[in-house]
Amino acid sequence: MEKIISNIVYVASGIPATLELLLGGVVLGFTIGTVFSIMRYSGICSWFISGFISIIRGTPVILQLSLVYFALPALMGVRLNLLTAGIIAFGLNSSAYVAEILRSGIESIPKGQFEAAKTLGIPVFPMWKDIIMPQIVRNVFPAMVNEIIALLKETALIATIGGMDIMKMSQSIAAEQFEYFVPLCIAGGYYYSLVLFIEYIGKKVEKEMSYVKNS
Amino acid sequence: MLKIHNLCKKFNSEKVLDNINLTIKKTEIIGLAGASGGGKSTLLRCIQGLEIPTSGTVECDGKIGFMFQDFQLFPHMTVLQNIIYSPTLKDREKNYEEKAITMLNKLGIATKASEYPYNLSGGQKQRVALARSLMISPNVLLCDEPTSGLDVNATNDIVNLLKNVQESDITMIIASHNLEFLSKISDRIILLKNGKVAADIDAHKEDAVNQLMTCWDFQQSQ
Repeated sequence: MEKIISNIVYVASGIPATLELLLGGVVLGFTIGTVFSIMRYSGICSWFISGFISIIRGTPVILQLSLVYFALPALMGVRLNLLTAGIIAFGLNSSAYVAEILRSGIESIPKGQFEAAKTLGIPVFPMWKDIIMPQIVRNVFPAMVNEIIALLKETALIATIGGMDIMKMSQSIAAEQFEYFVPLCIAGGYYYSLVLFIEYIGKKVEKEMSYVKNS
Repeated sequence: MLKIHNLCKKFNSEKVLDNINLTIKKTEIIGLAGASGGGKSTLLRCIQGLEIPTSGTVECDGKIGFMFQDFQLFPHMTVLQNIIYSPTLKDREKNYEEKAITMLNKLGIATKASEYPYNLSGGQKQRVALARSLMISPNVLLCDEPTSGLDVNATNDIVNLLKNVQESDITMIIASHNLEFLSKISDRIILLKNGKVAADIDAHKEDAVNQLMTCWDFQQSQ
């Protein structure tokens, strides 16, 4: 029992790294994804963005992660620390999916909304910020929560290149004690709790944002 | 006020507007009649600049407001936010709320100021759309099928509202297939048929509607 508790505490020391990767990845991914989706819709560099999305979606995340961490230093002469490399890789990966989710969101908005903004003399930036995006966010919110959850689970791949996250901590206990079941279950418990938390927050925000109230 | 010169619009190879020439005077109310697919909406959209003409020009001295057939209110904003968003954007110092409330009062929907469009009836949405396009103080107001989907009472209300609007020196072009409605409200009715001006008559003349009907039917049976 005591051993299990000490395992629980030890694996918990990987939570900060996992959260940093998740947060960094979400911020980077959602920022780039949003910019890309608007640029592509407006026909700015759309061929580049389409190519980027196609390649990102068409190759394994672990390959992208290894490229950023191992190959980039050799090519460009910059040495990234593990967390930075992880955030860049996961962020870029996520941005492709976010851009696709937003594309479906943009296409769900009637053309007339863009035209109404135009006839009222609303410039492009405020139109996207205040008219189009708030509607899109409501439409694609469940898909976005899904993407965040997927990203959280993907961060476990950082363990393969030595990142000290939840997964790696449980693996190192396992390797030390030749006992797999308990440490892996503990890691699973942490991931699952985090996912439940994200779902909970997501539901709250979704309810808060809704302007269609059936009261 | 508004000059349309040799205006043509093609979608692919289909000619939707065929050499339209019109001169519209200030504060004139023009009824734009014609069957569905006759080019009414396309003409309004060309005047507003939502469509680029294939050839020809539209000259307008003044600001243009547009009322969409399906209103296109912003669903995530309340009625008040819908109508003050654009003017506030241009002049952050000024408080447009008072002007907006006066406007809503005039249109009889002041009690709905904090409702979302979702909770409004068709007639109420119509009034919000009208208020929103008037808030930018246009010189020309284009209305695309303002009575579609409204019952007789709501249509009569719209007639009165638009007449009220006209008192504030606005030139209006109202597209509709409802001749009775157009004859009540317009100074001049233009009939579009197959993208061409098929008739252009004074709406105050007694037999204006009959004249248009004959013209319309004659064209249709051809």
